[in-house]
Amino acid sequence: MNVLLFLVPISLLLFGAAVAVFVWAVRSGQFEDLDTPPMDVLGDDDGR
Amino acid sequence: MAGADGGRPAAAPPACAHCGEPAVAPLRAVFDDGPRVFCCPGCAGAARWIADSGLGDYYRWRSAPGPRIGADEDFAAWDRSETLDAHSEAEGEARCIRLAVGGMHCAACAWLVDKALRREKGVLDVRANAVDGRVVLRWSPAETRLSVLLQRIARLGYRPSLPASAEREDARRRERNRRLLGLGIAGLGALQAMMFSEALYLDTTGSMPEATRDAFRWVTAAISAPVVFIAGAPFLRGMVNELRLRVPGMDTLIGSGVLLAWLGSVIETVRGGPQVWFDAAVMFVLFLLAARHLEAALRASGEARLDALAGAQPAMAWREAGDRLEQVPARELADGDVVRVGSGDALPCDGVLLDADARVDEALLTGESTPRRRLPGETLLAGSLVHGGTVRLRATAVGAATTLSQVARRVDALRGQRPPLADRAERLARRVVGATVLLALATGLAWAFIDPPRAFPIALAVLVATCPCALALAVPAAIARAQGRLAAEGVLVLGADALRRLAEVDTVVFDKTGTLTRGEPTLLDVALADGADLDAAAAVALAARLEAAVSHPLARAFGAADGAPVDAAGQYPGDGVSGRIDGATWRLGRAGFALADAPAGDDGAIWLAREGRAVARFTVDDAPRPDAQAAVAALRAAGLRLAILSGDAPSRVDALARRVGIDGSTARGRLTPAGKLASVRALQADGRRVLMVGDGVNDADVLAAADVSIAMAEGAALAQRQADLVLGGPRLATVAEALRIAREAKAVIRQNLGWAIAYNLAILPAAALGHIGPGLAALGMALSSLAVTANAWRIGRRRPEANP
Repeated sequence: MNVLLFLVPISLLLFGAAVAVFVWAVRSGQFEDLDTPPMDVLGDDDGR
Repeated sequence: MAGADGGRPAAAPPACAHCGEPAVAPLRAVFDDGPRVFCCPGCAGAARWIADSGLGDYYRWRSAPGPRIGADEDFAAWDRSETLDAHSEAEGEARCIRLAVGGMHCAACAWLVDKALRREKGVLDVRANAVDGRVVLRWSPAETRLSVLLQRIARLGYRPSLPASAEREDARRRERNRRLLGLGIAGLGALQAMMFSEALYLDTTGSMPEATRDAFRWVTAAISAPVVFIAGAPFLRGMVNELRLRVPGMDTLIGSGVLLAWLGSVIETVRGGPQVWFDAAVMFVLFLLAARHLEAALRASGEARLDALAGAQPAMAWREAGDRLEQVPARELADGDVVRVGSGDALPCDGVLLDADARVDEALLTGESTPRRRLPGETLLAGSLVHGGTVRLRATAVGAATTLSQVARRVDALRGQRPPLADRAERLARRVVGATVLLALATGLAWAFIDPPRAFPIALAVLVATCPCALALAVPAAIARAQGRLAAEGVLVLGADALRRLAEVDTVVFDKTGTLTRGEPTLLDVALADGADLDAAAAVALAARLEAAVSHPLARAFGAADGAPVDAAGQYPGDGVSGRIDGATWRLGRAGFALADAPAGDDGAIWLAREGRAVARFTVDDAPRPDAQAAVAALRAAGLRLAILSGDAPSRVDALARRVGIDGSTARGRLTPAGKLASVRALQADGRRVLMVGDGVNDADVLAAADVSIAMAEGAALAQRQADLVLGGPRLATVAEALRIAREAKAVIRQNLGWAIAYNLAILPAAALGHIGPGLAALGMALSSLAVTANAWRIGRRRPEANP
């Protein structure tokens, strides 16, 4: 059962990381416009 | 007619390489890839700049020709510090502004604007969004002026302006982000907390060492804390507010349930008790947030259109000042100002079209997105989009006086108003809240005597299980969805209780002219009476002058009137009009009205008479709307009885009834407004619930008398209609669609209420008897809320068999 001593803290760290990434994503507007970024990809076809 | 076409040259002029408009006086310029033709120096200059800046890819990627570049415009007003303070935010040394950029509709445009701005000195960051036509611009005022940057955008042919409702947009975005954050944290946290709870569940034999068990419990407590206190903050805040106002409601119940479950679990953890309920707490929060998020999305889909109404009037306008153009805030426009609006832009005010005809998209008010051709002299509405070419118009209504603002205000006022049914459901839910708390307390007390350790979890389970969340969501979710769907069809609901009444209708009464027909009668034939001393054209001109003072649709058949207005003009609804011209009394109308010695019966024609003597006989007809037949069939298929009430000649009403498929015996003609009113009342006396569909001009009383009314409103008269629902577009089939949505909404509301009440009643005994733990209770309660919200999404979904 000693493995829990590693696994539980790791899962907590991952949880913290996931929350941090999500908060960053929302704050930086990643969910604001779900339509334009896909079009950007189409535009930059010459590796500019 | 021939004159209008005659001026066109035989060979079409070449299209401008930049904006695609015909280059009447072509300008030629040589580029790397050969010569190009431009329509004006502006376009040539823009293309030269684009090529020289290495942005030539724009021409390959764009999906439509660029905007035509007009004369240089003056943006100096934007540099004034009060303008900057009001519309941009200081970020240290830099400033940030959100601009609406007209004409920027495709990804290539956004790319071009983005690149062009980035090349300017002093620009720190640009985000151009082609979907909503917004550019977020961060620049350093020390290095450049905002007017220079705007000039750059304008020289490319795009029109920068201020978004009309920046605060609203911001508030909406913040609100959405808050909800997303809460939901995300709840989701991630609940997942983890459930995982650790799972470990505790699986220890069915109690073989886990106590130290391990307690460690797991503490970890679960730590992980569920942010779910309860951060993600669950809206509920806790709501609870505090409700308790402060001493009106315990939904949030009190949810908040106390969550808090009790979490705190109780912490206490049990400290005590080393047999059970914890962190899972119940996190699940409660997660699923309720999900239900609220769904409901908010539902509401947003309905309100997007209303916000579009509010935001459609641009904040800035181009006003002609002598031979210059100046950009002024739209609210500074005055009646009579001449305003110029470019292609792709929204009109800042209502106004009369000048110069040339234009194509405008009035989708906002009518739901009809095909641009309509408007002639000079016609009134255009604020918020309409201009297609192809710049229009000039003289403002007739500005700011809050525009039709758009009036409609938006009416709709906005209604938004705050809740339908009686929703009120009843909420009052019921409120009462249930009190009962729930009492029940939970009573159950807890009872169990304290029977089996003290189980008293808390069972009381908690009762509290959670009987939470009437689904009951509170049942009606608003369905109504929000139904109104959103109707708005998408171009139907504005203006009466608070209109949906319910619409669902109960069993008879549909149509007005004829302007409702079943296009309301654009055409003059088919002119027959001069024997001994008439004028020719057909003169007779038509006289008729036009007589009708000029009248808003009746028939008036249009005679075309525009010239000459002085007639004296002593009189209007006799159902009969005709009269007036004095050159000293003689003229009458225009049905035979019995116009002629002194009228033949018996009604020939359906319109007579022009001088002093009672026939001068001319006009045959006028009005074509049915193209979808009238389909709409009638759809309504009949929906089990409705149909009737026509018209002021027109019975022979014409009969003919129309046959053409669209309505039983001729229910079609009545030659009715005065009072006669129509009496007919509707008679139907109601028979126990029928009547839906009146009219044009809203001549039949306001009848519309008001019917159980529920729909006005076919087009254009300028939209705001004045006194109907429960207003059909914005010219499509009659929408009536059947609206009826279907109303009926579905009614059915869904009934299902939702039934489900919510049945669920709460069924779960109560099970929870009170201790068969359902707090975790299961939370799951069931939350799923029941999700079920009613999801059920509401079904309203107005197109079914394949309904649309073959």
